[in-house]
Amino acid sequence: MNSQHSSSDAAQGASGLATQWTKALWLVWILFLLAGIVGVILRLTHGHNAAGYGSYVTWGLWIGVYFLGVGISGGSFILGSLGYLFEIDGFSRPSDLRLAIVLSLAGLLPAFLGVWLDLGRMDRLMNILIHSSFTSMMAFNAWMYNIFLIVAALCWLLSFKQKSSWLKPLLTLGMLFSILFPSQSGVFFEAVRTNEFWRSPLLSMLFFVSAITLGSASLLFVRAAIAPRTASRTDQSHLDSALRVLRAVTVIGLIIYVVFEFAEFSITFWNPGALSPNTDYLLFGGYWPVFWILHIGVGVIAPSILLAMKSRGGWVFASLLATIGFGAARLCVLVPGQVIGQIPGLAQAFQDPRLSYDYHITSMEYLVALMMIAVGMTIFYVGVKLSQLVESRL
Amino acid sequence: MKKVSEIMDRREFIRAGGLVGVGAAAAGAAILKDRGELASKDPTGEKTVRNLTAMKNLKTQPSEDDHIRMQRELAAAMSKPVEKRRWIMVIDLRKCVGCQACTIGCVAENKLPPGVVYRPVVQTEIGEFPNVRLNFLPRPCMHCENPSCVPVCPVKATWKRPDGVVVIDYDRCIGCRYCLNACPYGARTSDFGRYYTSNEAQGAPEGKERPIYGSPAPWEGLPSNEYGKSWNRKDHGSPVGNARKCHFCLHRLENGLLPMCVSTCIGRATYFGDSNDTESLVVEKVTRNNVQTLLPHWDNKPKCYYIV
Repeated sequence: MNSQHSSSDAAQGASGLATQWTKALWLVWILFLLAGIVGVILRLTHGHNAAGYGSYVTWGLWIGVYFLGVGISGGSFILGSLGYLFEIDGFSRPSDLRLAIVLSLAGLLPAFLGVWLDLGRMDRLMNILIHSSFTSMMAFNAWMYNIFLIVAALCWLLSFKQKSSWLKPLLTLGMLFSILFPSQSGVFFEAVRTNEFWRSPLLSMLFFVSAITLGSASLLFVRAAIAPRTASRTDQSHLDSALRVLRAVTVIGLIIYVVFEFAEFSITFWNPGALSPNTDYLLFGGYWPVFWILHIGVGVIAPSILLAMKSRGGWVFASLLATIGFGAARLCVLVPGQVIGQIPGLAQAFQDPRLSYDYHITSMEYLVALMMIAVGMTIFYVGVKLSQLVESRL
Repeated sequence: MKKVSEIMDRREFIRAGGLVGVGAAAAGAAILKDRGELASKDPTGEKTVRNLTAMKNLKTQPSEDDHIRMQRELAAAMSKPVEKRRWIMVIDLRKCVGCQACTIGCVAENKLPPGVVYRPVVQTEIGEFPNVRLNFLPRPCMHCENPSCVPVCPVKATWKRPDGVVVIDYDRCIGCRYCLNACPYGARTSDFGRYYTSNEAQGAPEGKERPIYGSPAPWEGLPSNEYGKSWNRKDHGSPVGNARKCHFCLHRLENGLLPMCVSTCIGRATYFGDSNDTESLVVEKVTRNNVQTLLPHWDNKPKCYYIV
């Protein structure tokens, strides 16, 4: 009787929590969307001139957010599929799989928006599929994303069938892509063979681990914050199992990421000659607040502490912080790799704001990034509602 | 949790294996195919031969100016099919005075907008007062033998021609700036669609007719002749949004003219010619033991050499 009461209370508590988060998320969505519309208008009317990147630092915030979205997409698909295939408690229901797929699509599609707005010739976007050169990781990734979208959509559709002999094979194929494209995001940088900072085989592992962790953190966020609105006792136990797994995966992922990063940078302690100007800039130079405060402090330490606690609100907050931290981690790869020129004095040789090795994110870039998040939230909401609609009609 | 063997039945397992296998094979085949296609698809053979008559009646003088000699050698090189030429540039850093005439000549020739530069001259100060020296390093595109910018292009918009010149197809480039990142020399810049005079516009019409950044002076609307075509940047036309770079003034070579930076070099510090012509001035210069290339450790094998 007592346990029934406590379970019911937990469900009600969870429901209240979900309602609070849902209200907050609606407010965030409206604010981000409005701000994002302003950003997109600025981008379309002023071109790239309101952005902070140029010809020497060629990629900025949007590419960082793009790789963040790719990570969320790959990670949530892998976790959702693995959980479904292996019937892990908390992930075994088709609705769990659908939620992971919807989240995966909601991570990937806004990433495309960021890349599209980043192009100098937005009108030629389709060239990447029509005139693909598979010697370029960019074209390879573009194809992988598109095939993955189709596979993920098919999996979503087939998940409504009672028995489909194609669902599991397609999930396997989708998982292959989900492993490939986040790790190949690391190769995207490694393939620039003339960049010492990016030429590390660990980068693809870092991107893969971050994808799993991001997927886990995002699933934790949506399941802890949104899902338990009508939690029955069975549902509650199912959800608790899922949250337990996701908390563990997130914490382990964060630890592995930091261990890999330590492996990457610790060499400079024992071999000071290996401290490249890029690494120096990242750890001790202009980018130290992003690395130490945002990535390590906000993105690793704070969520690890919160996830060790028993407050579900804390877990939701931790998953948000971990995601923000990985956003910073993306910039820690992207920006220091571009801000050090290889020909000293080049930036002074012909002076122009676009010919600079300094990069500061502009307000327009922030606004467009908010638009990407708002679009992701929209896709997620529509996906979840559509899933519920189809479920109710079957 | 299920055992691995219980996850799928036999049919599902075969289907999964088939899908993964087909996917992996298709990806591998696509990569191998494009790796094999890196060679240029430019026209070759007799149709690329140019019979340039400008220097025909001018006899070789014993003490002729280097520019005259190079122009004569250029005409001779153009009389061969494109695949028989190999353009190289040699810059004598001891003779460069840092006047930036090459930079400005290039900007004027190619109608380069703000933020786009093909040949900056890098100036570095060496030593401490009073023993100070200025070094000047003109930096065009290196037209590498093994260019790092070409394979990263996702749309095959940049490639190496049979004569060694690395070019960009402005009509195909999507402006992703991957190639800019891959060039260790910073030789590629992006055209962000700006104009030098746009903020100085006077009397530009208001409303829909008024360009976003004001009205650039009419001379900024003149088309450039890069790659032998007429490029008009008006209304976001190419090469706005594209990657841009030095192309050894191919449009001038086709007409028997030396690249603009060579013509405008007041110190006669820049040499240009066909390295397949063993009697040429550039070969004379490049076979000395005081010739270096920039950042050789990347193995890009630049075709722009420096005499130090």
